[in-house]
Amino acid sequence: MASAIAGRSGRAAVTALQAALAVAVLLGTWEILVRVYEIPIWLVPKPSDFLARLYTDAALIAYHAAATSWTILLGFLLGVLVAVPLALAIVSFGALERGLYPLIVFLNIMPKTVVGPIFVVWFGIGPLVSVFLVFLMCFFPVMVDSMSGFRAVDRRLFYITRSMGATRWQEFRHLRLPAAMGPIYAGMKIGIVKAIEGVIIAEFIASQAGLGYLIMRASGFMDLTLMFAALVATALVALLFNAVLTGGERLLLPWARHLQR
Amino acid sequence: MSRGASIKVRGLCKTYGSGARAVHALGPIDFDVAAGEFVSLIGPSGCGKSTTMLLVAGLEPITAGRVEIDGRPLTEPLSDVGIVFQDHLLLEFRTALGNVMLQQQIRRLDRDEQRARAAELFSRLGLAGAEDRYPWQLSGGMRQRVSIARALVHDPSMLLMDEPFGALDAITRTQIRHDLELLWLDTRKTVLFITHSIDEAIGLSDRVLVMSPGPGRIVEEIPIDLPRPRPAHLGDHPEFARYARRIYDIFENLGIYRFHRDRP
Ligand SMILES: Nc1ncnc2c1ncn2[C@@H]1O[C@H](COP(=O)(O)OP(=O)(O)OP(=O)(O)O)[C@@H](O)[C@H]1O
Ligand SMILES: [Mg+2]
Repeated sequence: MASAIAGRSGRAAVTALQAALAVAVLLGTWEILVRVYEIPIWLVPKPSDFLARLYTDAALIAYHAAATSWTILLGFLLGVLVAVPLALAIVSFGALERGLYPLIVFLNIMPKTVVGPIFVVWFGIGPLVSVFLVFLMCFFPVMVDSMSGFRAVDRRLFYITRSMGATRWQEFRHLRLPAAMGPIYAGMKIGIVKAIEGVIIAEFIASQAGLGYLIMRASGFMDLTLMFAALVATALVALLFNAVLTGGERLLLPWARHLQR
Repeated sequence: MSRGASIKVRGLCKTYGSGARAVHALGPIDFDVAAGEFVSLIGPSGCGKSTTMLLVAGLEPITAGRVEIDGRPLTEPLSDVGIVFQDHLLLEFRTALGNVMLQQQIRRLDRDEQRARAAELFSRLGLAGAEDRYPWQLSGGMRQRVSIARALVHDPSMLLMDEPFGALDAITRTQIRHDLELLWLDTRKTVLFITHSIDEAIGLSDRVLVMSPGPGRIVEEIPIDLPRPRPAHLGDHPEFARYARRIYDIFENLGIYRFHRDRP
């Protein structure tokens, strides 16, 4: 067992190394091409330029990265906290399912980002618009996956628990909820990607803080190196959230290790 | 140790659905299972074997007739029972031991006592060392053994098994059948065992009830008078061949088997 774990983390280290190497090769090639062809900095900045900006403007970028992270966290948690109980309610009550589900399918198909400008009218320029957009973006994948999770239990298992004399609460606690954890988590992993997409768009149109806002402002000044630096910071924020979710999965769903890489 | 309970079934019918969609699936059927007896139900697909089991367990509403357990009419899901289905139906998020301890948790039984019983069952069923493995880390045969342990850990007086070995390969099936027989010989629980396999029915049962479809009926009752424990390879036994032949003949007479000589 111990060697299996060592093997797994060893593999993870190799994977990380390979990824780092690929990024290094890409940036290196980029650097060389820009230098050889003497492309001006206002057209395509060199990696050395924008990576340096990440250092010289660390405080500025960190401030906006923190704002973005907060927005993601709030919107995402709100999305999960609403989506999971709602999914349970819909699955449990047929009437809710017939009434609500078509509406939810419709809202899910509609591109969420188009409601951004409407939110601006309703809530003005500020963090609320971003939080709501993040909420909307991650709400649907979490809810749809939670619903299939709450439905996933084989009917015959309920025969078995009923012969044990299980109460409805015990059925929920021992069967439905744990069985739904895997799908809920899968929905959350899709949701976080959507959330990050949503937050940047929301910050483009309606915000005075966050990496999206920083990119827009830098664009106004034609400050391409800052834009690229903010882009890298966005990617780092996305990586951070992904890493937290993936790490949490090991803790929360220890049985699903064969599904995790 | 809990001794077996008796089952008495009279005029039992089941119709699924209602109106134009109604399916008369079963009955009326009558049969008895004595306390501690091992009885098999055998019959073609769709003849109502699973339905019979669910009605005896009180898990589906009865359309007509009655079921009595130890002389008392059944009015709610039978609790003093262990159930095994064809699929192991283990919870993927629990370890092998965790799956078995579900009984203790839901029934609120004594934890240490149930753990001790689980440990004993694990060793008797050849599962020692597999306690902390998740279902995906077990072979199909081991999963089904865990599911049998789950059905027995609370020491019920009755075991209901719906094609429990149906999904297993022939080698595993022979072994697990033998293990079940030994376990039953030690505990003498009442067993209602559903199967498609003539070998299994004869290899395990005190009595075989042969069913026919449309709607499900019991057409023949065959006491199996063979010494126990019965050998893995029953084919050598002349008595076995006679019993098997009888069941084949019933199926053939019912038109369930259609062999080459029926060809025009
Ligand atoms: N929940 C249900 N709703 C409607 N019809 C059902 C239901 N369950 C079973 N039936 C019907 O009742 C009949 C008997 O089914 P049952 O499952 O008891 O058969 P079986 O003997 O166990 O078959 P098999 O050997 O294939 O498992 C079949 O015709 C089946 O289609
Ligand atoms: Mg069946």
